Amino acid sequence: MQSLNDELKGKIIKALNLDKITPAGIKDDEPLFGAGLGLDSLDALDLVSMLERDYGILIQDMEVARQAFATYRTLEEFVQRNRV
Amino acid sequence: MSSRRPVVTGLGILTAAGCGVSAMWDALRAGRSGLGPLTLFASPRYGRHQVGQVREDVDQLAGDVRGSRSDKLAWIAAREAIQQSGLAMPLNGHGADRAGVLLGSTVAGMLGTEEVVGRMLRENPQSAIRNPQLFGTEEVPGDLLRRQPRRFTPLRYHECASATDLCARQLGARGPTATFSTACSAGALAIATAAGLIEDDELDVALAGGADSLSRLTLNGFGALLLLDPDGCRPFDAARAGISLGEGAAMLVIEAEETARARGARILARLTGWGASCDASHPTAPDPQGGGATAAMQQALERGGLSPSDIGFVLAHGTGTPDNDVMEARALRRVFDGAVPPFASVKRFFGHTLAASGAIQAVAAVQALREQAAPANLGFENSDPEIGLRPAREFQSRPLQQVLSNSFGFGGNNVALVFGREDPLPASAACGVPGRSQEVPLHGSDGIYRTYRTYRTYGTYGAAAARRRSPGIPLAVIGAGLVSAGGHTMAGVRSALAAGGVAPSWLESAAPFPLGRLRGYSCGDFGADEAIPAARRRRLGRLQQMALVAAKRSLPQGLPAALSPERVCAAIGTGLGCLGETAAFVENMLMNGERAPLAGRFANSVHNACASQLAIEFNLRGLNSTSTHREISFEAALWHCAGELRQGRADLALAGAADELSPYMQAAGERWGWWDGNAPAIRPFGRELTGRRRPLPGEGAAVFALARGDQASAPLARLQSVHFGRFAARPGGQPEAQQEAAWLRESLERDGVPLASVDLLLAGASGWPPWDDAYREVASALSVLRSEEVRLGAYKQVCGEHYSASAFGFFVALGLVGGQIEPALCLAGIPSPAAGARSPRTVLLYTLSPGGSHALCCVCA
Repeated sequence: MQSLNDELKGKIIKALNLDKITPAGIKDDEPLFGAGLGLDSLDALDLVSMLERDYGILIQDMEVARQAFATYRTLEEFVQRNRV
Repeated sequence: MSSRRPVVTGLGILTAAGCGVSAMWDALRAGRSGLGPLTLFASPRYGRHQVGQVREDVDQLAGDVRGSRSDKLAWIAAREAIQQSGLAMPLNGHGADRAGVLLGSTVAGMLGTEEVVGRMLRENPQSAIRNPQLFGTEEVPGDLLRRQPRRFTPLRYHECASATDLCARQLGARGPTATFSTACSAGALAIATAAGLIEDDELDVALAGGADSLSRLTLNGFGALLLLDPDGCRPFDAARAGISLGEGAAMLVIEAEETARARGARILARLTGWGASCDASHPTAPDPQGGGATAAMQQALERGGLSPSDIGFVLAHGTGTPDNDVMEARALRRVFDGAVPPFASVKRFFGHTLAASGAIQAVAAVQALREQAAPANLGFENSDPEIGLRPAREFQSRPLQQVLSNSFGFGGNNVALVFGREDPLPASAACGVPGRSQEVPLHGSDGIYRTYRTYRTYGTYGAAAARRRSPGIPLAVIGAGLVSAGGHTMAGVRSALAAGGVAPSWLESAAPFPLGRLRGYSCGDFGADEAIPAARRRRLGRLQQMALVAAKRSLPQGLPAALSPERVCAAIGTGLGCLGETAAFVENMLMNGERAPLAGRFANSVHNACASQLAIEFNLRGLNSTSTHREISFEAALWHCAGELRQGRADLALAGAADELSPYMQAAGERWGWWDGNAPAIRPFGRELTGRRRPLPGEGAAVFALARGDQASAPLARLQSVHFGRFAARPGGQPEAQQEAAWLRESLERDGVPLASVDLLLAGASGWPPWDDAYREVASALSVLRSEEVRLGAYKQVCGEHYSASAFGFFVALGLVGGQIEPALCLAGIPSPAAGARSPRTVLLYTLSPGGSHALCCVCA
């Protein structure tokens, strides 16, 4: 479980070019979007792309993404559930 | 009454709904969608999507012209429009100098480029992904592409300007000719620009429109943004789920009314008004409140002297994305104060044809006025409460006097056009003889036109036109920012010039390119880390960062707070756009078989990504233009800004240009034998390049802040004149020197600059002998014209050869007239008897493009 945490946070940082942020800087229960990391709708789409490339999860509806990307924890659970 | 009012005299169109105006109109009348399966190329991910693909054999229709699919689409539409207008083709005599081509393009030759890149990647799949070292050794240079250079041919037609130059060559046009690339509003912007050039008395007749083919890049890009509706778009419908991508071209012949009447042309409609604005909010999504869209529509109405109730029908942008349609409905309600006229989106007929869509709608608008009927909004079934408006359900006859057409692009680049009805003329006047004057009644006999409300608009229009370009108001350059291989400050540029130029550097290369063989004039680290906060920088491509850093340097104190954002415009030239981001997207797409497309890269890949980032950074809501016309991209951008300032629509303008080096560009140049590891540094007039060799490529960005001369204190310099167009080429492609000299003199004198006052001709010479000679011959011809030697200077020894180099030259010109750069430094190595120390007060920046264009800017102390 811990390893997915580190791995996934590392992938988020890489996919979104967040080079000033460490995995520890992404808090499990804080919202990913809006304040906090300062992510926007294009970042959400780049996360969608990362999930497809690295975990084989295909998202075609932004509503699914919106729910999955609420916090880091919801994203991790989403990956656990859907990865292939 | 102004006789410079733009009128439409020819239409041409090619879309998924058929070839020709009548085929298009038949489809609209019958409610027949042109959407269908994608067969142009294989797409693993989106191959089952409905697209608006042109079904005709484009190669066959285009005849013997060479070019990309986009080029051919443009030419087929242009040919129809020219034929209808009755213009002679090719034009001859004085008419050619007063004719121009203005084209919107965004995909351009990408379809062919993808094939070349795909081959490069496929032929070296292992090495391309996992083993770049394979390419690092000298054993690999003779790779497949070198042995088969013809396979690189599509790259020759990669650029946006390719279609424009093709049409201009065929028409024989020699007036102002440029290409604009503001994504989905580019075609409409080209039409608006043509109208501006006509009103400004730069042109009598323009071929204007847009063209774009389908491509994997755009299909995957919109897919990455989750903006594609697989089953076909449903604009304004409650269940709408995105766009359908399409392709096509539409062209209009637009003329000054006086010249159209003088040659007895049949006037199909008037271009009554046009407006352009910027959202300054997001790279791809529209401003939800529709502020920019509202402003563009209001400007178009105002410019035409119209009130909202004059509009009988609106051709909406209506892409079918959830956001656009809500935003547009909101903007329509604001403009029309609740009384929104009947409206329809025609996107389900043709698909979203990107740069062509504004021009396609323009053709539909003119045809609607002529037929007194308007199309239905195909794809609409159920109302969306969030939209709260119902588009037209049926094709039906409507009494139409004015039709509004909207185009909104990525980067919040909005353009609105209004076309007005022209009275049907008597049959005897309907077929004019080109070149022969004919008596044509100014008004028809049915009386409707005269009693119609727009009659009063003539007065307003005339007043607006009376404000047109007056040489009495020079513009002031009040700020200058630079990113270049020769430094980023005036002092840096001065020492680089003093050193005789900059040594080209070895560039980092990545698979699939050979390591250590690419050399060019790179900007290296240009200070983006300090200038742009990390949170913002992470989303920007390199070229965007270059442009943004240059812009910030041009406005060290930021924008004056008192300025209204609506009255600040920006125009950025870029010959090739954001190559790095485009390449990253395309490479990922091809390597991964269209899996996991990169949305952010696609958003950054559009040519207008730089100008729209400037708008977001500084909150610039006026005209936001991106010109993409090879070496004269900067001058076309500068012209746009100058026009907005002179006509009182802007108080401040940011004009500039930016281009970046790309390994792909270098690889292509290598295969053609232009560059190699031993290529010499650039020495203008040095005669070191022989055979096929070309000057080494460079990159850079420069942005200038401009204001009206009467509103600026202590400017860096005055901008007295800016013009661009096409030259008369002799065999070999270079211009005829005497004609060039005459063009330069005439252009300067129109702006009140006597040729005798020019102290230095700053040329775009780059050590490429045929073009160096052309510059020198023009300088000699100018010397003869004014009976005094013209001093010749050059600057590309510092910035390298690239499409935005003339913006660097403009920076040097500012240093020359400002006394920071001694003229002798630009003359280094140039044998010139008059190379004295006299500090120049007037510098003429003169640029030639091998594509057949020329441009001048005149900068004075």
